[in-house]
Amino acid sequence: MAARHLIIGGGTAGMNAIRTIREEETERSTITLVSAERPYSRMVLPYYLDRSIAESHVFTATPKVLAGWGVTAHVGKRATALDTKANVCTLDDGTKVEYDDCLIATGSSAVRAPVPGADGPGVHSFWTLEQARGVIAQIRPGSHVVMVGAGFIAFTILNSILALGATLTIVEMAPRILPRMIDDTGAGLVEEWLKRHGVKVRTGVRLTKITDAKGRQKLSFTTGGDLVADVVIMATGIRTNLDWLKDSGVRVNQGIVVDEHLRSSVPNVYAAGDVAEGRDLISGANAVHAIEPTAQEHGRVVGANMAGKTVSYRGSLIINIVEVCHLDVASFGAWEDARAETASGVKADRPAYRKLLWRGERLVGAIILGPSSDIWTTNDVGMLKGLVQSGVGLGRWKAHLKANPFDIKPAFIATKTTSALLPETILGRPSKAPGETPVAV
Amino acid sequence: MSVLRIHPEKCTGCLRCELACSYMQTGDYQPAKSVIRVSPFEGHTSYAPYTCTQCAEGWCMTACPVGAITISAVGAKDVLDDRCVGCKLCTIACPYGTMFYDPATRKAFKCNLCGGDPACAEACPTAAITYEDVATGDWLGDFAGERTARVLSGAR
Repeated sequence: MAARHLIIGGGTAGMNAIRTIREEETERSTITLVSAERPYSRMVLPYYLDRSIAESHVFTATPKVLAGWGVTAHVGKRATALDTKANVCTLDDGTKVEYDDCLIATGSSAVRAPVPGADGPGVHSFWTLEQARGVIAQIRPGSHVVMVGAGFIAFTILNSILALGATLTIVEMAPRILPRMIDDTGAGLVEEWLKRHGVKVRTGVRLTKITDAKGRQKLSFTTGGDLVADVVIMATGIRTNLDWLKDSGVRVNQGIVVDEHLRSSVPNVYAAGDVAEGRDLISGANAVHAIEPTAQEHGRVVGANMAGKTVSYRGSLIINIVEVCHLDVASFGAWEDARAETASGVKADRPAYRKLLWRGERLVGAIILGPSSDIWTTNDVGMLKGLVQSGVGLGRWKAHLKANPFDIKPAFIATKTTSALLPETILGRPSKAPGETPVAV
Repeated sequence: MSVLRIHPEKCTGCLRCELACSYMQTGDYQPAKSVIRVSPFEGHTSYAPYTCTQCAEGWCMTACPVGAITISAVGAKDVLDDRCVGCKLCTIACPYGTMFYDPATRKAFKCNLCGGDPACAEACPTAAITYEDVATGDWLGDFAGERTARVLSGAR
């Protein structure tokens, strides 16, 4: 069994791997962590932005917790090269770390629209803790914030910006908002809802430059209609942090190609989270799923395998949820599958929306939208996930759901989806609690 | 560990479990705040309560990015209010649809077995909900499969 584990990246995947190694191993191994930043949860940064939590709440492992787990931590350093023949990783300060097996979990970085002025003062990304601090320092009550990009990341901080008393304009190059999370109908309902809540939305506009306007930022577009902002947030996408691997011999496609055990083309090198191109639960094909739940599941599967267990991963399910001014918006799996059989229902006045997609008797994807205060929104969110995840045959319930797309619960219960789900675990055993020492302290 | 065992054929649809649950969980007699929810079947001639199975994976717990869901002394997956930030990842991760979210407190909440003395089981007048040391299970599937034939035949 491997005795020296190297974890590169202190995000969700890396921290879950470390915990799982300690849960699963029969002999104490050595674990070294290399992390460019102190480990924290990116998911909770929006709640730090609107001050509903203190900064201390975002950290997932303090130095004390890492010490408690027996981890040798190189925090504030980056891996710059991986020699997979000698099993040595080189860090940016010249430190060399030898390993028996290693996990690459270096995540993604925010990218900005390639326009003049995108790197200027007053233009921010909101991806890392450091960037979050930058945005927090700039937004005041009454600030005009312009968000460039209307994707998932942008929407996670929308409520926080409004809660700070700022006014918000969202500009998006695509013809609709949330282009990679929901369809036209859903996007139309959300856009209408946003306008009702005082958010200005411009879709189908291309930013050409950002220039200084007496200390404020002027944004210009091909279609005209300049905007002047106090704060510009660029939420124009992310890219995986893989450049440092180019001479390593690890096979990279969209991400690091991994097998069912999350091993790369180099058997003692694993990959997890945003950098991994692993199995998609629905299609069975490899894909990069840069979402928190995939990072968590990948991390745990890698941790178990590193600890000497043999754990196969069934694949990850794309799931996204975002709340927009008390409207829940979520999508699952193959919600975009153009060849799937579909059914949908809209209640525009709530608003509420369900879209269901089938291949045969099996639900392969879904979109759901509804008020957070509506109890059935939350319950249906989970049950739709369960139907897609379990892939139960819906039999005669398929016709019922096609006619009644809001009637999820009886279909879920009567098709015995619970029976299908109960034996499912990621590690082949009951999960352990975060522990006496919570992951976050 | 003990779990909530549902005997759907005994349920009369009286909703006492929902009242007791909401009072225990939130201090209000408000079925909308209950984490056990009674569903009607066969045109409101049959009923069955549905709640968290305390599943082995604990999808809510493993999904939580801040370790705000833990396992309580009685084995229930339990939300720690002071850790929960309200990100809703647990609501989308739980494939059973048994996570809840309170817009007023901006926290997730769920069945925590009332610390080992479940109010729903105590309130149920027909013992349709019992708290027993058995393996958790799909208590409703067979019952619902039987009693939804009318819906599926198209008659409402």
